[in-house]
Amino acid sequence: MMRFRSLRPPSTSRSVALALLGPGVAFGLGLLIDRRSLVGATSLCLLAVVVAAAFAGRRSGFAASIVAFLGLNFFFTEPYHTLSVRRGADVIALFVFLIVSVLVGTLLARALEEREKAERRVAEAAFLDRITARLISGEGLEKAMGEFARDLVAMFELLRCEIRSADGGAPVVAVSPDAPDAARDGPRLEVPLGTGDGSLVALRVEGAPAFGAAERSFIQALAGQAGLALERGALDAEVRDARVDAEANRLRAALFSSVTHDLRTPLASIKASASGLLDPSVAYTPAQRDEVLATIVEESDRLNRLVANLMDLARMRAGALVPSREPVWIGDLLNAVLARMRRRLDSFTVRVNIRPDVPPVSADPMQLDQVLTNILENSARFSAEGGEIAITAARWHGTVQLRVADRGPGIPAEDRERVFEEFYRSDAGAGRGGSGLGLAIARAIVVAHGGRIWIEGAAGPGSVVAFELPVAAVPQSAPESDRAPERGVGP
Amino acid sequence: MTHVLVVDDEPQIRRALRTGLQARGYDVVEAAAGDEALVQLAAREPDIVILDLGLPDLDGSEVIRRLRAWSQVPVIVLSVRDRQDDKIGALDAGADDYVTKPFDMDELLARMRAMLRRAQPAEASPPVLRFGDLEIDLARKLVRRDGTRVRLTPTEYSLLELMVTNPGKLLTHRWVLQKVWGSGYGEETHYLHVYVRQLRQKLGDDTSIPRLIITEPGVGYRWTADPAP
Repeated sequence: MMRFRSLRPPSTSRSVALALLGPGVAFGLGLLIDRRSLVGATSLCLLAVVVAAAFAGRRSGFAASIVAFLGLNFFFTEPYHTLSVRRGADVIALFVFLIVSVLVGTLLARALEEREKAERRVAEAAFLDRITARLISGEGLEKAMGEFARDLVAMFELLRCEIRSADGGAPVVAVSPDAPDAARDGPRLEVPLGTGDGSLVALRVEGAPAFGAAERSFIQALAGQAGLALERGALDAEVRDARVDAEANRLRAALFSSVTHDLRTPLASIKASASGLLDPSVAYTPAQRDEVLATIVEESDRLNRLVANLMDLARMRAGALVPSREPVWIGDLLNAVLARMRRRLDSFTVRVNIRPDVPPVSADPMQLDQVLTNILENSARFSAEGGEIAITAARWHGTVQLRVADRGPGIPAEDRERVFEEFYRSDAGAGRGGSGLGLAIARAIVVAHGGRIWIEGAAGPGSVVAFELPVAAVPQSAPESDRAPERGVGP
Repeated sequence: MTHVLVVDDEPQIRRALRTGLQARGYDVVEAAAGDEALVQLAAREPDIVILDLGLPDLDGSEVIRRLRAWSQVPVIVLSVRDRQDDKIGALDAGADDYVTKPFDMDELLARMRAMLRRAQPAEASPPVLRFGDLEIDLARKLVRRDGTRVRLTPTEYSLLELMVTNPGKLLTHRWVLQKVWGSGYGEETHYLHVYVRQLRQKLGDDTSIPRLIITEPGVGYRWTADPAP
């Protein structure tokens, strides 16, 4: 992580040390090599001034120039060890040195400062760019804000950084990983986020340098970006809510049409049939009477299935589809479902092939019952009279896969996802009396169990609804009861 | 004549049951609430009770608990509640069977007949039960199929005996586990599955179309075979 390099002047102690030490070393070396050579000492002193200016700034360079000027006068001009100068040439040399060294030191220090400023601007721009990109990237606003605060902590060497949003929620707080736990608050900077009442608070440890003007303005710019991002996040949430509302409205409309159409149609046939039977002026043959009565029973069943699905839809919407799991042997369950749907499946050939090694699945038996019922109901709806419905189950890795194949018109590949959508009705399903809920509910239940459900193309006409559920961890054997009678059993 | 007490707060359901049952020769007594049902039960001593759970005064399960304090009359719950917990709750309270609304009249009548057979006086129950080609000698604890002895483990036999002596009754997993394995059991439904599967195999009960032992998903098992005369 890049650190923010401020334009704070270098520390005074460093300035003084370099201003004294540099020329001092130069004098020592000069005296050591040739105690009478003003030229050699001058060159060494110029080097010392350059070093001081480069590493401790222009003031240090200037001070070093003065020290060097005095020292050269004291050590290297006759009369030695005095500040008076005998030769005119030496006077010229000393003053030329002073002017040149001050100029060189100042220019060098300024050039270095300019370069540093430019580098800092580039770094600032890059940082701003990066966090802006992250803030508008659409990833979780909370997360982006957290990273933003952490970046600030690292860049400005903060103890902690807090971002308090306008809505009064918990502030985003990032703390320096380097700071000792017992660190106490020192310099503090609080700037508004620019929008709303939010603010950004930056804290340094006690004893750290205060925030400079450059840092202050940069942090203000960053806080402005954070404010914009927060505002954008709030707007995004509004848009999302609006979309959810629109989706809810669409579902409500679909539900309304489903309820009016799908409840009224069977009700209409029941009422027509029953009132017809009550009519004293009509003489039905026994066969006609049976047919009318069969219609009443079938349509009642249809109403009942629709009500069951609507209730499941309501549970699903309320997030109440929490399976209460137990080991379920899918074969047993299937038998119970087939027995219950006997009349509905009467006109089809139902073949069941469940491999004996199929282990129990971990499922809610009632909900799984609903899944099987809905899938079989769907297959029956799309099958021709006398058509075959084949049910197979097999173990597949850690799951049990069950397939229900029919010989109906099949489902085009592009619609194989959509059949699981609520209120979806295929063109082929028009007039077949489905509510468009059965498979949607089956999918919701299977997914709530951590399984998956899909459509496969069958060999030949028809389609296959397949789903898989995790195997239940249950031993395949059970102990004999120690309460069982010991005597007289078997030969 | 068989007396049936119908307890339901919906007059339409009572009417449908009354006409359906009277047409088949049953004598029907009605009650619209739990307290009334308990009074009728004491006064009329019906042979069987058909009970709704959602009553205006008492919950149906509470009615069952109270009547079980002094009566062993068979009780069939007839309710719109179809959740596993509701079924198990009513059965554990002492109900013998559970039918969900909407229901088939013939299905309800079949369950009633099974209950009424069970309620016959105990001394009339023969020591040897016959179900098609299956013969169970309760006194000697012997099982024959087509005249050949069927070897059962002690636990398999206990399970079979429990079922055939409670024909038609919907037996919850917990109840069967406690009767066969002991009171410390109740959650080990997989024991039951293993033994029911073994029993079905040994008794020749086709697993795809069982006719002896019926699974009630998530609730329990029921012995459905009609005994041969």
